[in-house]
Amino acid sequence: MKGSSFDFIIIGGGIVGCAIARELSRYGTKTILLERESDVAMGISGRNSGVVHAGFYVEPGSLKAETNVLGHRMMPKICHDLDVPYREVGKIVVAKNEREIKDLYKLKDNGDKNGVKGLRIIDREEIKEIEPEVEGIKALYSPTSAILDPFLLNVALAENALQNGVRILLNTEVTDIKGNGSFIVKTKRGEFRSEFVINSAGLFSDKIAEMVGIDRYRIYPCRGEYHILDKNRRHLIRGMVYPVPPREPGGLGIHLTPTTDDNIFIGPSAEYIEEREDTANTEEVMERLYAEAKELLPKISKRDFIRSFAGIRPKLIKPDAKKPRDFVIEESIDNFINLIGIESPGLTSAPAIAKKVVEIIKKKKRLKKNRKFNPERKAPVRFSKLSDEEKSELIRKNPDYGRIVCRCETVTRQEIIDALKNPLGAKNIYGVRKRSKATCGRCQGGFCIPKIVEVMEELSHPSIDDLTLKGDNSKLFIGRTKDLRKND
Amino acid sequence: MIEREVDIAIIGGGPAGLSAAIAAKKSGIDDILLIERNESLGGILNQCIHEGFGIEIFGEALTGPEYMQRFIDKVEQLKIPYMLNSMVLDINEKKCITVCSPEDLIKVKAKAIVLAMGCRERTRGQICIPGTRPSGIYTAGCAQNLINLKNYMVGKKIVILGSGDIGLIMARRFKLEGAEVLAVVEILPYSSGLPRNVVQCLEDYDIPLYLRHTVVDIRGIKRVEEVVIAEVDEKRRPIKGTERRIECDTLLLSVGLIPENELSKMAGVSLDPITNGSMVNENLETNVKGIFACGNVLHVHDLVDHVTLEAELAGESAAAFVKGELRNESNIKVTAGKGIRYVLPHLISGKNDVKFSLRVMYPDRDKKIVVRDGERILKKIPKMRINPSEMIQFNIKKEYLKDVKGLTIELE
Amino acid sequence: MKKKFICIVCPNGCEIEVRYSEGEIEKISGNLCERGLDYVKRELFSPERSITSSVEVRNGLLPLVSVKTSKPIPKERIFALMDEIANIEVEAPVRIGDVIVKDVLGTGADIIATKNVDKRVQS
Repeated sequence: MKGSSFDFIIIGGGIVGCAIARELSRYGTKTILLERESDVAMGISGRNSGVVHAGFYVEPGSLKAETNVLGHRMMPKICHDLDVPYREVGKIVVAKNEREIKDLYKLKDNGDKNGVKGLRIIDREEIKEIEPEVEGIKALYSPTSAILDPFLLNVALAENALQNGVRILLNTEVTDIKGNGSFIVKTKRGEFRSEFVINSAGLFSDKIAEMVGIDRYRIYPCRGEYHILDKNRRHLIRGMVYPVPPREPGGLGIHLTPTTDDNIFIGPSAEYIEEREDTANTEEVMERLYAEAKELLPKISKRDFIRSFAGIRPKLIKPDAKKPRDFVIEESIDNFINLIGIESPGLTSAPAIAKKVVEIIKKKKRLKKNRKFNPERKAPVRFSKLSDEEKSELIRKNPDYGRIVCRCETVTRQEIIDALKNPLGAKNIYGVRKRSKATCGRCQGGFCIPKIVEVMEELSHPSIDDLTLKGDNSKLFIGRTKDLRKND
Repeated sequence: MIEREVDIAIIGGGPAGLSAAIAAKKSGIDDILLIERNESLGGILNQCIHEGFGIEIFGEALTGPEYMQRFIDKVEQLKIPYMLNSMVLDINEKKCITVCSPEDLIKVKAKAIVLAMGCRERTRGQICIPGTRPSGIYTAGCAQNLINLKNYMVGKKIVILGSGDIGLIMARRFKLEGAEVLAVVEILPYSSGLPRNVVQCLEDYDIPLYLRHTVVDIRGIKRVEEVVIAEVDEKRRPIKGTERRIECDTLLLSVGLIPENELSKMAGVSLDPITNGSMVNENLETNVKGIFACGNVLHVHDLVDHVTLEAELAGESAAAFVKGELRNESNIKVTAGKGIRYVLPHLISGKNDVKFSLRVMYPDRDKKIVVRDGERILKKIPKMRINPSEMIQFNIKKEYLKDVKGLTIELE
Repeated sequence: MKKKFICIVCPNGCEIEVRYSEGEIEKISGNLCERGLDYVKRELFSPERSITSSVEVRNGLLPLVSVKTSKPIPKERIFALMDEIANIEVEAPVRIGDVIVKDVLGTGADIIATKNVDKRVQS
């Protein structure tokens, strides 16, 4: 790989980087994506609500609004082509008092200006029809708001890009970039030359930009904590239920968001923090999330929580700023394209951002269509979603479909094998989790992790140090049972 | 897809399922199917390599594998049919079971079902411990499986949350294999394990026990690097200023067991919110006729010997049901009164001897367990020491239960 | 010297206080029976424990076989015993009761298998 020359280097394998990779693979280009973690979707893209926003939160005329609305329109076909779960569950934004009702009308106005379809203000009766468990005097109803599986989408974009000729290197952190108009990108695993560099490094996009002397951007990490509710509470809401957003620019208020796996997310919160990688949950916020969620949905209890997590927003504004900032999507210096500050609605916007990046490139370089481009990618079988007859047929052809490894999510041994044999080469528990949903259930891997490790051992005989939770030195074990007492 | 019918289907091949199967066979039913999801029978006993099993049933202090082997040998000897690597995906109210096995998806229509699925462990997510999510956080049973069955040592410097028997046993296990156990942290003012285990697992190895403490933070990006513990007040909230950091690479969670009743719910079985297990009558039959429950799935046990005896009753009842001999006249409610956390069974007929099982709410000395029917006292059982972690069982003969209207069991 | 014990011989769990010196008990209180006295004597002057652990298996369907000491061993030899069995491998098949190590470290106790481990079928 040393000294290899590319047309495009994409830095960062999150949703934006992988969407760009797929978009570029429509053309005959030599493209490589460099990801520092052991898998794609390990940063912001692996820690969000999975929402496809309709486009009424974003300021009309902004890049956020433009890419949000276009991305929302593109998403159903993309998910269909890439075989990724997508559900138009709808959203209501609930007002509890007069001041909040005023804000609802502002949101609707925003949405109308952005061209969002189907938005309407509904009253208490209709709220009860749509969401019987929710209390509110008025709400904004957005029927086209949707949810998808952000992990599977990120993985699918990467796999489709790979399928169509893009190289993807994991565990490859960029340490320096030299050049202007054509670049040498130095990494922990060698040097790469490229005509263009596309910086989609998420939380570290400011640091990457700095490497080529662009230091006018600074990311202020803003953490959002979440709780995940057990599937047995899924029936409490139909679609997304949000309160009216608070007036301070920070977050959007405590949301209730169903997932495509039938859990419910509570959150996110919004707190500015010092360390951009500090994804810890805190006691105060966890308590607050619970209390606020209980206001919206009195029937939940702490016993229904199966996991909590946190994601970090890459904000371009300081904590005391009055107005939010727009996405940075620009060619900052010759052939160096920056994507900075891609927070919400980043997931929704990703495919549209990719299109914009290609537009920027086309102004500088002729791109020839890739005649072999195939937009479709088939996902591995999800056993739990099949009918009994389909299950039976699969098992009779392959007994590994008859061995359940993850009992909470009904994931079979073959699906674990499929997840481990993924084309990107991610080989840890999180990699299996993203793709197969094993460990995502109420026992959080207590039952299946020993079994997954067994499959890992059989497939690739890894050294014990290579058995990790999420790559790098997140080792699962320190050795064999007797190692601490064995003679050296 | 394979469809078959069976007289008695038993879900779970651990100590409860094994004994229920043997009892059903001895009661004259041959058409039994024991369904086990792991590669071998024995359930959780496979990984319980410590001693203390069988003192009541065999008069010996056996290890878990030795205890289970006696019952596995009996199942083989009696030629009771069983399936391994077979997970039940669904049970409906008509007692039709969907089994996923390496052979095929199998629909089993059973006349009677014995639920013997055991329990699962409470997780970090359910108790909302703040902090990061690094590798090195394990529930005790999962770690026990990895260390004793899969031959993996999970860490070198261990902090254990929870001083129940499982946490204590694992503390000793780690010490024996050469790991450092830096602390056992317990939120209550007393250890919920047996005194014998506190002596032989903690005191023997000088492992510090922090009572009235809990873990308030976990740090480490990739792997656990330290945990922070703090003292708690009477409401179990952490007290600011009492935080103490402990450098470690592993946090072991031994914070409770929850009966695994997802399948039971699918079958329409009503659960007791205190035990998280089924509501049952004196025959261990649930509200769904022909579905019985026993072992940890009914209520979490401390002694496997009790599981065996309970499962025998369930197996016998299931056999009687199949033969049409089981009379269900259990209309008399049994209520847990003052000081009692729960009592089983929930309903009795008043026409048979009954063995009651209960747990108290708080540890105490010199108390009496009182069984009364309204104002009339049926029985008083003096106890020198009572502990929530030690299940109490006693029998009442049918002569005493005649004309009873409702039973309350309470502490005096 | 003084020491407190919780006797574990029976469910009463008597809290026993002892005053002792150089191998002799001077005063004992709190025990309801003789067995408590015996327990405390042994715990003070020659404590013993039964040990359960596991030993690596070669060519077995499982990588480890669970084992126990055939009788209690002196408490102070526990770690030496653990070091000893860490370096042993036993060949499958193993049956419950098989003696893995006879008279381990001269304690008079054997290490015996508590689980059946079948031989792995080579394919």
